[in-house]
Amino acid sequence: MDKQEKNRGASKTMPELLKVAPSPHIKGADTTSALMLDVLIALTPALVWGVFTFGIRALLVTGVSIAACVVWEILAELLMHRRVTVSDLSAAVTGLLLAFNLPVTIPLWMPVVGAFFAIVIVKQLFGGIGKNFVNPALAARVFLFSWASEMGTFPAAGEKISSLAVTLSETDAVAAATPLASLKAGSLPDENLFAMIVGNMSGTIGEVSALLLIAGGVYLLLRRVITWHIPVAYIGTVAALTLVFPRAPGPHLNFMLYEIFAGGLILGSVFMATDYATAPVTPGGKLLYGIGCGGITVLIRYFGSYPEGVSFSILIMNMLVWYLDRATMPRPFGGKLNGKQT
Amino acid sequence: MAYTFSGGIHVEEFKNTKKCRIEALPPPSSVSISLAQHIGAPAEACVSVGDTVGIGQKIGDLPEGMLGCPVHASVSGRVKSITKKVQSSGAAAECVEIENDFLDTVWQDVRPMEKKLADVTTDEIVSVVREAGIVGMGGAAFPTWAKIKSAIGKVDRIIVNGAECEPFITANHRLMLERPASLINGVKILLKALGVRTAYIAVEDNKPDVIEKLEELVAQSSMISVRVVKTKYPQGDERQLVYALTGREIPAGKLPADVGCVVFNAETCAAIYRAFADGMPCVSRIVTVDGDCVRHPKNLLVPIGTSVRELIEFCGGLTREPSRLINGGPMMGTAQWDTEMPVTKSTSAVLLFSDRFGRKNAASASCIRCGRCIANCPMRLMPMYIAQFSKIGDMKRAEEYGAMSCVECGSCSYNCPGGVEIVQYIRVAKAAIKTERARAAADAAKREDR
Repeated sequence: MDKQEKNRGASKTMPELLKVAPSPHIKGADTTSALMLDVLIALTPALVWGVFTFGIRALLVTGVSIAACVVWEILAELLMHRRVTVSDLSAAVTGLLLAFNLPVTIPLWMPVVGAFFAIVIVKQLFGGIGKNFVNPALAARVFLFSWASEMGTFPAAGEKISSLAVTLSETDAVAAATPLASLKAGSLPDENLFAMIVGNMSGTIGEVSALLLIAGGVYLLLRRVITWHIPVAYIGTVAALTLVFPRAPGPHLNFMLYEIFAGGLILGSVFMATDYATAPVTPGGKLLYGIGCGGITVLIRYFGSYPEGVSFSILIMNMLVWYLDRATMPRPFGGKLNGKQT
Repeated sequence: MAYTFSGGIHVEEFKNTKKCRIEALPPPSSVSISLAQHIGAPAEACVSVGDTVGIGQKIGDLPEGMLGCPVHASVSGRVKSITKKVQSSGAAAECVEIENDFLDTVWQDVRPMEKKLADVTTDEIVSVVREAGIVGMGGAAFPTWAKIKSAIGKVDRIIVNGAECEPFITANHRLMLERPASLINGVKILLKALGVRTAYIAVEDNKPDVIEKLEELVAQSSMISVRVVKTKYPQGDERQLVYALTGREIPAGKLPADVGCVVFNAETCAAIYRAFADGMPCVSRIVTVDGDCVRHPKNLLVPIGTSVRELIEFCGGLTREPSRLINGGPMMGTAQWDTEMPVTKSTSAVLLFSDRFGRKNAASASCIRCGRCIANCPMRLMPMYIAQFSKIGDMKRAEEYGAMSCVECGSCSYNCPGGVEIVQYIRVAKAAIKTERARAAADAAKREDR
């Protein structure tokens, strides 16, 4: 009796071959691209604010950065005979975060070079998504610090840059001191705290609006894309250290608040330090990692020659992730720690 | 508040058949009964080709005391063949094929227990359960007599597993609703056998009708109570169930009896009662037939050994072309390659899925280190690390990270946004670790010999 005959009773026939696959045979709806889309959504309000404060050029820089990341990823994967994975949106997230870390006055070739470093060197050469051991956008930012003056020129808050030229002339951008630079000099910034929280200050495209970045972070928490551990541990550590040891004589609380809202701490702690590929996966590991990031940030800000320490601190902690995960391995159900079970 | 455990996942329930009454499948023209449908040694045929057998007649047995249990004819008729066939697990086993004579002759030795429960000894109960060929009907197929025997004097709680946490399956649900008395009487026999004074019937809170019914029936009992557990996967895993109800954590590599508990599936309890009340051994079971390809999903009472093709036909056939046929639940069941697969004592469901059903549209199977598998693992392991060690062949590290504690529930794979078959990598690691352990033990034995 052949198979067709056996299945005559059925209105649709059984196929000749059934698929044999390992269980589970059904899967949940979460996908990498859906998670990345959530991150893009969470970053959108801060992007809108960046364009509103710094002018239309902010959008241009962001667009170039995202496009460059996507194109570099396609080229790298084609060249390496890998499946093209840009539809997982992770390259777009890297591009957006890279732009968030750049000043609006940056020459447009720089995000392209930065995107190359982020996607090709840091991500694809190490095996693609999930395999990079440092945050691509931050590594690219640090790489771009090779051009210190381009990376260190910020327009004053509210001074809109509408020029779409590849490189800006001197007159287009008037350099202004960021609040962090003021803090470095030992004084409280001129901006009032409200302006700092809303984002009426000088800085990179995406870092200025603490309020909108926190809103994005809350969205990611509600969507369960991230957990609270890293941002809370990170910001909490910076808050505690700067409250106890303000860098200049003055009101402790004020110094603490300015340290939190000036610079890239909120962007870094909510969106960069929580990058899946380069953060610990255990709750305990996440807490230690956040504390480490906070400690190093304060050390660099206080004693380093750069005004900002967020990027460096996250990159340094990235390299400890394997050990943090190992040290904080949960005790298995019915077992003992570190596999020493009977 | 419902009892529960930490970790686990919420899966879409698909309990489409929860209102489908148990229907008896018309007896098939022939059945193919495996002699190895339980954990332990396979039974040996005690009938020959050409013999006429009655329903409930023993067709395979093995020496008493050996782990395993007898197998019985599920239809009356003539033994057509006794041959080795590939089983649903992929291993080959001896199968007895019986041609149905449709006379439904019940075997002469099938008789109710004559004594009252109060006068029955533990040994007698173990013997009846063994002779009836009863195994864990939730899927594990561990011989029930051996479980009872190993629990004697060691346990203070009997837990009846009616959680049924796998999606789609409602076989236990219907059993508890339609035959609650059999279930409760089965529990009473177990209480008597083990000399225990406490039994919990665990039911997930997605079955309020069952909870209400059982609570009404055990209201007068001082020993049996209903325990409502949270609807969460894998609530029916015995480690999680014991923990949820008693707070006792079964150590890795140990059994529930090591923490004073013993767990029986709901249908197993009903089968025990049937063996006492009618003397009928385990010759049929309830099977949920469902999946997006099945025209009329149903709960069927099926003679053991019926091919799943008959079940599918009885359910109105197919509405679309299936690509996967699952023996068991969608989370832990095994995919079959053929509709001739016979129903065994542990087949709780037959599911047919089309190609797209339940699949994920991932760009590529890559771990993005999101940590969901760690948050969801009911055994509190780090599945993504174990899977990665398994992938690169570092089984030592996989073992160190607790691979052997994995219960293979699949919560990690289910919720992996990267679409990585995490639990399959862990299975590979477990198999390699077991082989390595066996090799090391053999080496050690050799050294001792010298």
